[in-house]
Amino acid sequence: MNCERFDTLLPDYLAGSLRHDDEDRFESHMEQCARCKEAVALWNKLAELPQEQPSPALRARFEAMLEAHQASHSEAPRDLLPRHSLLPFLAGGGLTRMAASAAFAVVLLVAGFAAGRYSIAPAQQQLQEELIALRGEMTGMRQAAFLLMLQQPSASDRLQAVAMGSQAAQMDPQVLAALMQSLRSDSSVDVRLAALNTLARFGSQPTVREGLLDALQPRQSPLVQVALIDLLVEMRDRSAVPQLQKVSQDPNLNPAVRQRAEMAIRQLN
Amino acid sequence: MSKLHSDEELMTQVRNGASERLGVLFDRYQTPLFNFYLRLTGSRALSEDLVQEVFVRILKYRQSYNPANPFRPWIYRIARNARTDHARKQHPETEWTPEMSPPVVPIDSAQKQQEAALLHRALMQLPEEKREVLILSRLQELKHEEIAGLLGCEVGTVKVRVHRALQDLKAAYQQLQAAIPPNHGRTGQIPPHGVAP
Repeated sequence: MNCERFDTLLPDYLAGSLRHDDEDRFESHMEQCARCKEAVALWNKLAELPQEQPSPALRARFEAMLEAHQASHSEAPRDLLPRHSLLPFLAGGGLTRMAASAAFAVVLLVAGFAAGRYSIAPAQQQLQEELIALRGEMTGMRQAAFLLMLQQPSASDRLQAVAMGSQAAQMDPQVLAALMQSLRSDSSVDVRLAALNTLARFGSQPTVREGLLDALQPRQSPLVQVALIDLLVEMRDRSAVPQLQKVSQDPNLNPAVRQRAEMAIRQLN
Repeated sequence: MSKLHSDEELMTQVRNGASERLGVLFDRYQTPLFNFYLRLTGSRALSEDLVQEVFVRILKYRQSYNPANPFRPWIYRIARNARTDHARKQHPETEWTPEMSPPVVPIDSAQKQQEAALLHRALMQLPEEKREVLILSRLQELKHEEIAGLLGCEVGTVKVRVHRALQDLKAAYQQLQAAIPPNHGRTGQIPPHGVAP
């Protein structure tokens, strides 16, 4: 065996997965070749590196985090979202998510039909106007479906709504407001976290920034608080520092959250 | 009794809402993960932050755990992502300084202690990708297949990387060894970089 072959077999040898005959040849080469022997010796030395122990504080932090999680997940589901009044024709019938999607599909169909019909009509001006109107209606319909889904009693439906919103390139102020409401007070922490993720993409808008800061309230779930703090750091939002200071000094808050806030203040300054 | 439960069973329970079971997984993994990060970053404080982050993410993404898949590669995937995200936020890569070295646990002889310190320094001189593949395969004892899954590459590629990283480590180690004058055997200038506890 030469050194090149040795190198090829080395990882398998080290993993103990060489075939028996290969292993014999491998070892006899190793006995003769100082270069190859050293590589194996170093591999063995690596395993002798002492195993370090984390400080006991790590366990304490973990427990604080777990407690916070359990506290926030044992809340009884509440319906904190106000019913929107703008959709009596949809909400009144107790329309489900599927029906909302179906309605959206109908709009698409009508739009396609209209586009097809008008494309052969000579009145180009009229066609343009119709299309613009239809597009507006579709946007309205999509928003309506979104807002409706955000009110569904099932958290997974609401999650889906928020995920749907996360794909939008831009957002209507009304939709953003509904998302911020979800972030502040949805009964499910998962929905709140998902709303935060979606809102993060629109963090450059002043109203969203304000909404994010506003959501960093003492009664908020610690998990969301931590995610919010991380986001504020990511956005490098220095105006968040006073609020973060309040959080870091609030003795009633979860220690992990306060620690995170302290870290964030250091990172922002 | 918890020993009777596999990691996969425990994680499935966590996934199904028994979040208190995460404590058992924490006990099993806090030290391996801490050492993974410590060898990767050289910083104890950062390593503890990252271990905490891993468990925050496990809770956050518990629904994405598939009980049919082994837990170990899954947690290491989360661990790697946490590290990558952190490194992305911290744009200039932190240069390793001797002060960041972990306190060396007393080992039987002064010579071994010096060897361990040298080896740690040599390891820290490698680029992070190389260091990582050595840590995963040697110190965390992950299989080549598991590492391939983590890094998103072929098993053959992992083997090549392990081999190359080991050669580089050897070169770095030998260079450091050559730099120590022979009379610096016991109380040499390469101290164990002990940080006051």
